[in-house]
Amino acid sequence: MFKIGSKLLLGLTGFAALNLVAHVIFVEQLAIGGVALSIAFAALVGLTATVLITNEGDDEVQPRDAALLRASMWPLVTVAALVLFVLGLVVAQVYFVLGIVVLLAALAEWMVQSWSESASDDPAHNESARRRLLHPIEFPVIAALGLGVIIFSFSRIMLAISKSAGAVVFMVVAAVVLLVGSMIAIRPRLKPALVGTICLVGAVGIVAGGIAGMGAGLRTELVEAAEEGHYTHRECGAEKSKYFDKKAMKTLSLRSNVAAVVELRDGMLTAEVYGFEGARQTISVPRANPVTIIFRNFDDAERRMVASLGTSMAAATTEEPAEDDHGAKNVTCTQLIPTGAEQALTITYNKPSIAQDEPFTLTVPGIEGQSIEVLVP
Amino acid sequence: MNHERTITTNETSRLSVRRMTARRVVARATAAIGSLVVLASCATNAPQDTWQPKGPNSQMIDDLQRPVFAVAGIIGIIVFVAVVYVIWRYKDRGQPIPEQTHGKPALEITLTVIPALILAVVGVFTVRVIFDLARTDDTELVINVTGQQWWWEYDYPVQNEWGITRPIITSGQLVMPVGTKVLLRETSRDVIHSYWIPALNGKRDAVPGRIHTLRLEADEPGIYAGQCTEFCGLSHANMRMEAVALSEEDFAAWVANQQAAYRAPAEGTLAKEGEAVFLNQCVRCHQVDGLKRADGTLAIAAPDENVWSGAAPNLSKFMTRNTFAGAMFDLLRDACRDDVWKAESAEFGSKYLAGVGEACLNVSDLRAWLRNAPAEKPMYANPTLLTETNGKYRGMPNLGLSESDIDKLVAYLLTLK
Repeated sequence: MFKIGSKLLLGLTGFAALNLVAHVIFVEQLAIGGVALSIAFAALVGLTATVLITNEGDDEVQPRDAALLRASMWPLVTVAALVLFVLGLVVAQVYFVLGIVVLLAALAEWMVQSWSESASDDPAHNESARRRLLHPIEFPVIAALGLGVIIFSFSRIMLAISKSAGAVVFMVVAAVVLLVGSMIAIRPRLKPALVGTICLVGAVGIVAGGIAGMGAGLRTELVEAAEEGHYTHRECGAEKSKYFDKKAMKTLSLRSNVAAVVELRDGMLTAEVYGFEGARQTISVPRANPVTIIFRNFDDAERRMVASLGTSMAAATTEEPAEDDHGAKNVTCTQLIPTGAEQALTITYNKPSIAQDEPFTLTVPGIEGQSIEVLVP
Repeated sequence: MNHERTITTNETSRLSVRRMTARRVVARATAAIGSLVVLASCATNAPQDTWQPKGPNSQMIDDLQRPVFAVAGIIGIIVFVAVVYVIWRYKDRGQPIPEQTHGKPALEITLTVIPALILAVVGVFTVRVIFDLARTDDTELVINVTGQQWWWEYDYPVQNEWGITRPIITSGQLVMPVGTKVLLRETSRDVIHSYWIPALNGKRDAVPGRIHTLRLEADEPGIYAGQCTEFCGLSHANMRMEAVALSEEDFAAWVANQQAAYRAPAEGTLAKEGEAVFLNQCVRCHQVDGLKRADGTLAIAAPDENVWSGAAPNLSKFMTRNTFAGAMFDLLRDACRDDVWKAESAEFGSKYLAGVGEACLNVSDLRAWLRNAPAEKPMYANPTLLTETNGKYRGMPNLGLSESDIDKLVAYLLTLK
């Protein structure tokens, strides 16, 4: 009654049932994992019932001809995946997920290979059957993985070298790709082995470059900027950053959400608000929603913009306040920025203006009598 | 022999009758379905009809879509007729397979060039309309619009030329002056929504972290209905909006009233008791500007501490609106609602500005909402299922108010005009 296929499916069904029960008990009934395991269990029950009812489509179990069997790497890969899977349970989720993916892939490959070896007495036909079934899946997956490796390696190279060198590398690589592509197009009868070798050499070069890039690490500029955390500056003291968003309005993410652009020019502080004609002295921003304000300094000296957050902790920057003097000051600032530069400041006003004894304002230290009032309805 | 012939003739006749009957059934069914489709497009009560522009922006879209629709329709009919003809003319009757030919450059080029030309012409006019609809340099009034699950907030920045000397905040109904180029600055506090008043313009997404603009202008006073058009969660279908166009004089009166100081209910009234209930229960999320606690301090709502989006509708001047709960429910009873919606242009402003009085209040829906809001509108408001939002609600929870408290609250809300 029980043959190879039905035994396998019965085992998988039991495994799915155990997982489902464990998931329901230890995780959460309504979680998507429970739904997925339920569906897997139901599907396996259906498949098992089908193979049992049809007796696997054959009355007699055919003894397998040892001559038709090929060496298989899939048992080894399955074990490695299981190790990864178990390791993931202890170490990190990423290994757990990777283990599941590799395990499923290895089991699928193993099953199809095993099935194809019993398909006929002709090894060539069996191999052809396996290819017909798996190549439409294997090729795109392998291609996607290969491209992923190439892209990742290239990104490591670009992060390791300087900006100007990066531009040169981009141009050179693009020119080489264009050149090689043109050559192949002009001479379509080129030997496939030669084309393959050229692609392989290129890919290996990029991957080697990527490994070298990882070894070298990020370029100094990026490391320092990350250490400075220039988007999260909250002190209004004397600090000055080497790396900040000098051209904030040239980045789409900031440009698309600017509540106002505040400019200091000729000793005057004014605000420009999209949709309004001319400069304004008041801006209106919604409550409980992060707003970005750009400060542009056209003064001769280095300046910073200071946002007063009211008389109580009614407003907050996007980050939780540090346990320093920020809470006492209840202000947040841009950095000191030189003439002609600009910087973005993102603020969330959680309470309305009427909750404050003093208005929310934007000012520039050293520029007296100038301020922009921020109204929060 | 004669007998066999008779049988054959009878069978053929029966077959023919069956075929005719089947054809008749198919023809009648087609006619019936076709009639239903045509009749369905004749609904009179269709406030979100995209074919009835009520402002210059929607008129621009209409002027574009009608000829495009006509051209597409004609091409569609030609293609459909051709396909049906070919299917009928060349169906398999056992005839030999005709000689196979490959390639007919002249025909292929013609069939490529003609659609390309049609699309190019449509493209030119479409791009022109897109640019015209994106203009902001002729704006006369700016309104900030913020979407959140599942209602719209409108705040009017200071604009002295319109008498707005401090920001006005409202929800559900966008009030605007007629014949005025209004610019909406849209954003969202939680997920992507989309603002669409079909009679006044096309749709525009409201995206967290971005500000998108949309022009609106109405030709005539009236109420124009809309609907969120970006799936935004459980009550997306109930996230509605209405644009109310008033004459400039009426709009000025509306602005003045919105900026008027809070008037506390008289001592010893049911409404005064309702104010106390509001301070105990509702002010955790809902702001009423000017409302003070017993100790004389201003009552400041804290929706950012209780609601996932960080906001709840500001209920100052609540009864000057005609809707509540994200414009899902009317504050006016049916007869009063019809009176406002169907008012002549000259009378519309005065009827709208009258707001909602006790006689016209849709008290049953309002009471049901106060009794158990999540039962009236699907929301994530079950206190035991808020782990993903750190205990914050999406929508209004069931406050477990007593019938007596509801009486008091309704009396209090009626004073917010």
